[in-house]
Formats: sequence, C-alpha cells, structure tokens
Amino acid sequence: MQTQNNMLWVEKYRPKKIDDLTGNDEAKALFLEWLKNKRHTKKAVLLYGSPGVGKTTLVLAASQELEFSVIEMNASDTRSEKTINAVAKPATSYKALDNYTKNKTSGNVLFLDEVDGIAGNEDRGGVNAILKVIEESLVPIILAANDPDIEKLRPLKKVCLLVRFQQVRIPLIIALLQKICMLEHVSAEFEALERIAQNSKGDVRSAINDLQSLSEENHRLTLQDTMMLTSRNKDITLDDMLKRYFSAQNIAETSTMLAFSNIDYDDFLLSVSDNLPKRYSNPSELAKAYDYVSRADLFRGRVGTENWHLLKYFYNALTLASAINPLSYTPFTFISPPIRIITLFWTKGKRSTLDAICGKIGAQCHVSHKTAKHDFIPYIRVLLQKNSKSPLVGWFKFTPEEVDFLLKMGRF
Amino acid sequence: MTIVLNCKGFKLPRVEREKFVNLLHLGLDYDRNAGLFSIKSFNNIEKVIDAASDILGDDIVFLQHCIRCGKDFPCRGCNYIELCSTKNLPFSCVCPQCLRVRKNFETTYLTQF
Repeated sequence: MQTQNNMLWVEKYRPKKIDDLTGNDEAKALFLEWLKNKRHTKKAVLLYGSPGVGKTTLVLAASQELEFSVIEMNASDTRSEKTINAVAKPATSYKALDNYTKNKTSGNVLFLDEVDGIAGNEDRGGVNAILKVIEESLVPIILAANDPDIEKLRPLKKVCLLVRFQQVRIPLIIALLQKICMLEHVSAEFEALERIAQNSKGDVRSAINDLQSLSEENHRLTLQDTMMLTSRNKDITLDDMLKRYFSAQNIAETSTMLAFSNIDYDDFLLSVSDNLPKRYSNPSELAKAYDYVSRADLFRGRVGTENWHLLKYFYNALTLASAINPLSYTPFTFISPPIRIITLFWTKGKRSTLDAICGKIGAQCHVSHKTAKHDFIPYIRVLLQKNSKSPLVGWFKFTPEEVDFLLKMGRF
Repeated sequence: MTIVLNCKGFKLPRVEREKFVNLLHLGLDYDRNAGLFSIKSFNNIEKVIDAASDILGDDIVFLQHCIRCGKDFPCRGCNYIELCSTKNLPFSCVCPQCLRVRKNFETTYLTQF
C-alpha cells in the first residue's frame, strides 16, 4: 500500500475541499451553483480549459463535499456507444438507493473526463450516445475537455452549460508551491519557486511535479537547482532524446531529462533497447544495461494506464541503464525509429495477406485465426509444396498470390 | 487614459437597448436598484471588456482581489504581467506584497490546514 511519504505530491495535495482549489474562483462558483440547483436548466455541464487547471479536481472535491457518488469514465476507458450505454445509462436512469440507507447521499453524478479524446474506431458512436444519455438522464452529468472547439464536440456544447477554466496565474502557483514547501519542510528560494511557476505555463500539476522532482531528496531548493528545468518541449524528437539520454554525465541528469520529457515511453524504451549494443562495447556492461532495461519494461507494464505512481521506478531503471559507464560514451549514429516499429511497417503487407489466409481457413474450418495460423497453415504448406494445384486451393478459395505467399513464406 | 473597474459593481453610461441586451448576453448582470453592472459569467470575459471599452470610449482594466490579504489591486504592479494570459481580467490573484512577505502567508495558510 502507498504511504503518505512515497506518494506523488500531486495526489497528496490534491484538494479535498472546494475552497482549497487554486485559481478559477469564478468557474468554481458557476459550477457549484449548477450542481447544487436541483432543477437544472441544462442537465449537463462542460468544463473546459487547458490541462492541470483543476477541472477533475473540482469535480471530485465538489462531489465529496456535496455527497454525490461519482461514476467516472475517463480516457483510459473505451467510450463507444456500447460501453456508454452499458455504464452511463444505468447510472443515470435510476436514483441512488443510498437514500434509503443510513448514509444518505445526494445521488449519482456521471463524470465523463477528457471527452475531446473520444476518437477512433474504439469510441465509435460515443458522442451520439452521450447526447442520448444527457437527454434521458435523471442525474447531473459533468463533462470535461481540454479543447472544446473541435468539430465533434459541437453537438455537446449546445446541450451543456459551458464553464471555462483559465490558466492558473503565476502568483497563485507560487503561493501553492510555498504552501507545499512549508508542509514538506523544504527550504526553497523564492526565485526558484518563481522559475518553476513560470515554466509550468499555468499548469499546476506540472509545477507540483517539478517541485517534487527537484526538492524531494535534499529538502532544499535553490535557483541553481532549477537551471536543469528546461521548458517543457512537446516537440522534442526521439533522436534528441536518445542523444541526451546516452550522453548524460550522471544519473541525476538522465532522471531529470526523462521526467520532463513528453515522449512516448514505449517507443523510447524500444529505441534504448535497440541502441544499447552501439553504446556499450563491453559485454558485461551491455548485459547489465539490458538487465535494467528489462526491469524498466516490467515497470512500464505495471504502470499501464492507471498506476502512474509507479512511473518513477520505470524512470529509475531506465536511468540506471544509461549510467553503467558514463565516461565511456563516444558519439554514434542512432537506430531510430525502433526496429520493431520499422519491422511492423515493412511487414504490414505480408501480415495482411497472412491474416486474409487465416480468415479463409477459419471460415471453412470454423476455427479462430490463431488456430488457423498455428495448427493448419504448416500442414497446408506441406500439401501445397507437394502439389500447388491441390483441390484445397479451390476449397479454401485461395488466390494465386496467396498460394505463392504460402509456398514462399519462411517462418511466421 | 485607462479606466479601472471593480468587477463586483461598476457603472456604465446609458446605452441603447440593443447594446444593453448584448452586454447581458455576454455575461453581465444589472442591478436595477443600484444602477450597477457586475460580471455573472466569465466565459466571454474578453468580449465583455471590448464591449465595455467601446461604451466608455477608453481602455478598461479590472481590479484584482488578493486571496491572502483581501485587498483589491491593479495588475500593473505585478512582475509577471508579461507572462500572464489573463492580465487585467477580473480574477482572484495574490498581490505582489503578499507574495513576497512570507510571514503573511504563514498566518493565512497555516490556519487553513
């Protein structure tokens, strides 16, 4: 279980009360007025504003304070028509039974976070399903989005009360950081906090993360410490990251760089793995490095899409892989993008042909693609090698290209 | 010249019906008894400022409310004005004096925890 000491400060100091939320007092007031009002003129509210300004925190704090039970669907859930109907419809169709027990609540609220992230095939029909749920709902519905101006959210904006969240102002972020420093017994220079707040660009969450990463160990924070704090660069390329990662002089440098980057963790892990043999020529060093990378991979799997508090272990393991022998670094040409991704790209045609063949076998023999691939194809290949015009070709309805593919294919 | 307004209540000269309705649509509220406008919705705050400036024929700025000392203050004394995306808008903030004086912070915040 997580103790208070090893928690992320963002979670530890997430406001439990509405009054503790930093900034956006006007948005808070409007939202609370809507939530407290039993006869809503609009059944749903759309909170919008840039990341880290307190939208989710306000919903959770307000629900706790006003005793609502929150039923949440966020970006990590698939939000297709089917799943929304399965989760949201029951949640919004009935009043909470808690009212009949000793612990009375105000009922349910449905909270759909990051609705602007509803996209792609997995979330097909999601927006229309939400509209229908709003129309029929008996409980308040709260939506949150970073960017409400995207085309697909237009129908939602028409039926929602809009509440805009502004970027949190620098003085307010500094005030919050001062408060955290005091509670965590961190002695911080004002200028250092000022720099962190300016660097965050109104994102309270990133400011708190920066403060924790820079001051957690020493309980001291000087302006000098914040010099490593480069402005969050969302456009940094994988090559740049690899260059900085492999040329880092010490663990702290790598650790800070990883913590402040926004690169895809999985791609980066694969790229590090590809490039390690170029970095370490000594086999024992290479073995150690791969050991750390495998641990990082293990933690990446455990982080998944929910357990972000484990991310620091992923960083730690990956950092150690770069620091087996910092002095032996000599520049080299990076392999990028990761070999696995390049391989998937080049074999896309072959994989789709194989998939089509498996589909035809599956349809005729009533088996899954997997069974067709592993249990049928090896025998069909042997039969075709003996007689490429075997009656099987007609029975499976294989095209000449597919027969050719089966004859020439190596391993699969 | 810049006119400084307080968002809790400010006066505007009489305007034609169309402009008055537009102000209410943009998010202002009007207290008929006191003859004062106040800001009800902050969603279109930039447009509210444009409309009010147009009526007053001058630039307008709003006073900020300090969450630490409770005083109202203008943005012009702030060190971060160039970096602020919401400067001169009527939002709560921390005044430059309170931000620098740690003692003031301790008395305000530690009582809340």
